[in-house]
Amino acid sequence: MSGSGNLIKYSGHNYFRQRLILSLLSGKTVKIDKIRSDDDNPGLRDYEVSFLRLLEKVTNGSIIEISYTGTSVLYKPGIITGGKVFHECHVTRGIGYYLEPMIALAPFSKNPFNLTLTGITNENTDVDLIRTVILQQLKRFGIEEGLELKISKRGSPPLGGGEVNFQCPIVRSLKPLQFIDEGRIKRIRGIASPGFALSLVAESTTGALVSSETAANPGDTPEDIGKRTAQLLLSEIRKGGCVDSISQWLVLLLMVLGPEDVSKVKIGKLSAFS
Amino acid sequence: MDDKEKKAHRPRQAGSKKEKKDKKKTKNDEKHNPKAFAPRSGRKAEKLARRKVELTQKRLHVPLVDRTPLEPPPAIIAVVGPPKTGKTTLIKSLVKRYTKHNLTTIKGPITVVSGKKRRLTFIECANDLNCMIDVAKIADVVLLLIDASFGFEMETFEFLNILQVHGFPKIMGVLTHLDKFKKMKTLRATKKRLKHRFWTEIYQGAKLFYLSGVINGRYPNMEILNLSRFISVMKFRPLIWRNAHPYLVADRVEDLTDPEEVRQNPLCDRTVTLYGYLHGINLKPNMKMHIPGAGDYYLSDVSPLPDPCPLPDKVRRSLSEKQKYIYAPMSDVGGILYDKDAVYINVPGNFTKANQEGIEQGAGEKMVINLQDAPETLASRLEDSELRVFTRSEPLKAADLTNRSESEGDSDFHSTSFKGMSSLLLNISLLTEEEANRPALLTMQDVCAIVQGLIGGSVESVEEESGRRRRKVVFSGGDKNETDKELSEAEDGIAKKRKRRVALDKHEVSIITGDDVDGEEIAFAESDSDLDDIMSEQEFDDGYMNSALKWKSNLAEKAKETFHANRRVNLMQLIYDSGKSPEDIANGEYDSSNEKDSLEKMDEEEEDEDDLITLKKADRKEVVSLNQVDSVKSSIDKASLAEWDQEETLEAIRNRFITGSLEDKGDDEELYGDFEDLETGEIVKGTSEPGRTKEELDQEELSRKKEELKRKFDAEYDDKEEDTPAMSYYDEVKEGIAKQLELNRAEFENDDPITRAMVEGYCPGTYLRILLRNMPCEFVKHFDPIYPIIVGGLSSNEENLGFIRVRIKRHRWHKKILKTNDPLIFSLGWRRFQTMPVYSLSDGTRNRMLKYTPEHMHCTATFYGPIHPPNTGFCAVQSVSGENQSTFRISATGVILDINHSVEIVKKLKLTGTPYKIFKNTAFIKDMFNSALEVAKFEGAAIRTVSGIRGQVKKPLPRSDGCFRATFEDKILMSDIVFLRAWYPVKPKKYCNPVTSLLLSSKTDWQGMRLIGSVRKELGVPIVNNPDSTYRPIDRPTRRFNPLHIAKSLQSQLPFASKPKLLKARSKKSYLQKRAVILEPKEKQIYTLMQQIQTLKKEKNRKKKEKQAQKRAEHAKKLAKEESITREKEKERRKDFFRAQGLAEKRSAGSLKSNGTRSKKIRTE
Repeated sequence: MSGSGNLIKYSGHNYFRQRLILSLLSGKTVKIDKIRSDDDNPGLRDYEVSFLRLLEKVTNGSIIEISYTGTSVLYKPGIITGGKVFHECHVTRGIGYYLEPMIALAPFSKNPFNLTLTGITNENTDVDLIRTVILQQLKRFGIEEGLELKISKRGSPPLGGGEVNFQCPIVRSLKPLQFIDEGRIKRIRGIASPGFALSLVAESTTGALVSSETAANPGDTPEDIGKRTAQLLLSEIRKGGCVDSISQWLVLLLMVLGPEDVSKVKIGKLSAFS
Repeated sequence: MDDKEKKAHRPRQAGSKKEKKDKKKTKNDEKHNPKAFAPRSGRKAEKLARRKVELTQKRLHVPLVDRTPLEPPPAIIAVVGPPKTGKTTLIKSLVKRYTKHNLTTIKGPITVVSGKKRRLTFIECANDLNCMIDVAKIADVVLLLIDASFGFEMETFEFLNILQVHGFPKIMGVLTHLDKFKKMKTLRATKKRLKHRFWTEIYQGAKLFYLSGVINGRYPNMEILNLSRFISVMKFRPLIWRNAHPYLVADRVEDLTDPEEVRQNPLCDRTVTLYGYLHGINLKPNMKMHIPGAGDYYLSDVSPLPDPCPLPDKVRRSLSEKQKYIYAPMSDVGGILYDKDAVYINVPGNFTKANQEGIEQGAGEKMVINLQDAPETLASRLEDSELRVFTRSEPLKAADLTNRSESEGDSDFHSTSFKGMSSLLLNISLLTEEEANRPALLTMQDVCAIVQGLIGGSVESVEEESGRRRRKVVFSGGDKNETDKELSEAEDGIAKKRKRRVALDKHEVSIITGDDVDGEEIAFAESDSDLDDIMSEQEFDDGYMNSALKWKSNLAEKAKETFHANRRVNLMQLIYDSGKSPEDIANGEYDSSNEKDSLEKMDEEEEDEDDLITLKKADRKEVVSLNQVDSVKSSIDKASLAEWDQEETLEAIRNRFITGSLEDKGDDEELYGDFEDLETGEIVKGTSEPGRTKEELDQEELSRKKEELKRKFDAEYDDKEEDTPAMSYYDEVKEGIAKQLELNRAEFENDDPITRAMVEGYCPGTYLRILLRNMPCEFVKHFDPIYPIIVGGLSSNEENLGFIRVRIKRHRWHKKILKTNDPLIFSLGWRRFQTMPVYSLSDGTRNRMLKYTPEHMHCTATFYGPIHPPNTGFCAVQSVSGENQSTFRISATGVILDINHSVEIVKKLKLTGTPYKIFKNTAFIKDMFNSALEVAKFEGAAIRTVSGIRGQVKKPLPRSDGCFRATFEDKILMSDIVFLRAWYPVKPKKYCNPVTSLLLSSKTDWQGMRLIGSVRKELGVPIVNNPDSTYRPIDRPTRRFNPLHIAKSLQSQLPFASKPKLLKARSKKSYLQKRAVILEPKEKQIYTLMQQIQTLKKEKNRKKKEKQAQKRAEHAKKLAKEESITREKEKERRKDFFRAQGLAEKRSAGSLKSNGTRSKKIRTE
């Protein structure tokens, strides 16, 4: 990581999405090189390219330069325009992969987001969880009216075919967050979807949400999935905090992007992604 | 008149009598006439209520967050006005009022302490558009000086307009030159007239101050006192731009470039430090700053300095004389300046030889001049010279000093400190002779030593002896205290460490001896470094135990595991200080790397003795990071999940559920147990102290439970009560803001300044020193303290360039309308830049380019420039150079609407063609396009003939250049012109040129791109004459159309109304035409009489008219005569007036050579 002037250089394919959206939000150019340069199959994966395309659609004036081998990307950020966008996600990753960063961008767009994505709905992160957990975090920052994630079709690997519609209003500024009391868990709810996936959400007395999800591997029985999800949920609960590990990064990012006020949140053990 | 004035009655202020009276009073109010204060009529009551509501509503403003800290930075008071209105005199008077200090020159900002809680910085605004724009962006209060004897001048209104777009600070008008009025009546009339004009410009009732004549070069004391009172009670409303950006007004500028480098290359880039109070919001290190007139620079270094003009620390009733500081480094006030590493003694005058001729020289002066004569440089002579400050002390060597500073590693400043040493000798002489006449440099410590040694510990005596007020140097005593404190702190630290060591020893013993290893024993340390200590000790223990007892080492490792599992982590330190990757931190590898290495080494060594350990390790790490899937979910460990099968683990988190009991604390220990407050570094003890008995604890538990229950109950039932009055939305928002501010303050209250600066940046109000590198040399060379240097912070997005769409309106006083693509200078945010706007108006569907701005209407403009947030106001001028003084210089004002990287402005393009062959509804059109390809592009496009027949482009015709087939809704004529209306995108030029006025030797002469017209005029190039553009007489031959022919069969079918009515002219006379009419004799008589009467009447009217005309002519003659007389008089009066004015001007020009010119007098007044 070395910064020279307005250009920030990274190497490796880790945190690809985060690097790009942070670049977009901060207006700084990033250059990512050595993307899987030592791999048998070097360069960007299909889903990463697809994500770049999506990023191009929701922005205006972005310049993306991918090297011939695909091992380096130069991204000059433009302006987040939002509006009505349709994108066909690559089926190597679930819709969650594309949607998560869009949630972080949407409040700072010029026009309200109306994003339709097609692809796999129940792979990590499950769109149900995005709807029931991650979107709820936005509400704490004052983004409420018009925030919606509609799951019109569900699709599971390998072919996908699911469709979701994400709508998000724009805000002038975020509200500072004060969320330290995690409370005690009062209810646990869940959604099981065809294609063997289960997501569980535990809600506490103060409105803290803790979640877990599992998608079936070949050969799994429904009982297995249920048990595994429950265990995952329990370990999430044990970590503590007002925010679970899948929405940590978003909450922290929004806290940073908020006004010049102190925000406080209590989180459990940090995940590597956040 | 003998009787003395009697003492007035003083009622009791306190005591029993007062109470009694008070009781009586309240009783009477109710008893005597309760109805007295009730409104008598319903109508009146309603009116009163309405008025009250109106007043309260008027009071409300949109709540804004006020981010000024508790100790605010000095308020910036800009003194603005046309030349010769008395700006300098006003500042001098005010400074005298606040500090009893007579200023000779006013250069740069002057900071004074004006009260217990307020400091003021005075800035004089030069009469230059650049300066006015800059000052308008930073002023908290504007004192707008108006020469009452002359009236309003354009500058005043220009400045007001600039203020309006950049946020409207407080404005106070000051009328000067009131002593020039001889007659009281004219004075009153003028005051009234000017006041009302001022009010229309600002608001009704805006404060206008009157300053009568000048006494002893200052305004009368009483008037200045009143003015200062008004200033001291002024409240400032936060302005949006300034509430979102940090900025400082540099009151000191130093060039830190290596002199040798400058000598070798005088044009080399400079390293410059700027000093000033921080305003606005917190300044973060590494921010990009913009200096209006100089450009954008990254902050190389920011350091807070002790406040040179501090507020009094003790609150007394009034300010004591000693606390009335003044700080004006550019204006030669106050003696000593102290810096991070040097102290400057700055005094007016100079030592050049030419000046000294014939003047008696003091010993000190002689010495300095002798020094100038020295054949070799001071530095080389000092290299081996010695200095003994105290008799007991070691002799100091200059060379030693350089070495020391070099060894300190501050390579930037070693030249400075060297210089400091060289002038050290000189300074001692200065101090003893009290003839300090040259800015000299000393290092901080040296001055301490010298001053203490020579004068006995304080500089105050220097101040008194020299007869001039200088600021007290406070660091001499404080320094010592600080070092003492540091020493004691260090000792404390050692003691603490020692204590901790002891505790640790104990702890280890317990680990080793105790059987229950997984137990609750946890080691705590204040920081990671301490932890290292602990660990290294443990390692040491491990190492030595390895040979002896294997199981013991295992114990230690286990203890470590528990340590890590339950320890809180200082994330900030981990991420910013240790060179760990986020994965490592997330995986819980917090240990400092060397420790881990050594641990791993040990592990590996156990496995096999290989030298490739490090390589292996690196491989492993890389593989891990490569295999990681880019997902928010962390990978799941199957094994860790298995533990949920056990009942114990489930029990452990039972209390996290609402069904779980509160008492069962099990895993909760970390919630209530000891923990380390990471920000303050103190260790908070948990409630379960071993010293207390069980009963006490139970009691506590019980009370806590009760409290919780009560809280629950309150939460459930209290809200429904309607005791509390409903808060209005306004109050709610305000309270929310206040609460948040309180939180913000509380959050950082106990942090040390360094962490604070790192996390939230430097607080406004601190005196900062900013280091900028790679500044153009002109900035230093042509530095002029009269032009303020503003350093404004930019938020991350504002560094980029893009297309900015703004709503713009030509200023109604600007003489001309503005033309698209004519360069215009915008003042936007902190910046001033020249760019080429394209004007446009939206017609509902598209943005159409306008060649010129509308005359009295807003329009949209798009230009290329630095991005600013929407709703930022701006003003635009055509030129900032001093030459055009004749007209109103503000061309346009407006706000930013939106920012984009692409633009959608179009202009209309009409392609015309003519038919060369017409079928029924189809026609072949030529001359519209040049090739089939062009036609293909427009296939399906709508076309139209002049007569309004609509059609469509079909296909290009084969083997024809640009001819195509088109269909229409009707048959067109050969004479018809067919046209295609298209839209051509217009892109604004990517031109943006910052106004670098501060880099010029004469700041008013900045010139950017000129208009074509002015370039032509200057170069004498005539306008290119395109013959196509010249007008020719229009030749329009009258067209003949064949009569409309309708077939007979069709005619017969038409309804009568539509049938052509073609009647032939009569050939024979009609019956009445054939007959003659003869009058009867009586009829004839009547007829003749009527004729006669009419003739008489006509004659009468004619005469009357004649008479009237004559009269009118006479009257006109009379008027003309009067007119000529008045004109004559007026001419004479004007002549007298201008003669007098010319004389006065000549007199004033002779006495005071001023560069400013009075130019414009407003005609509208």
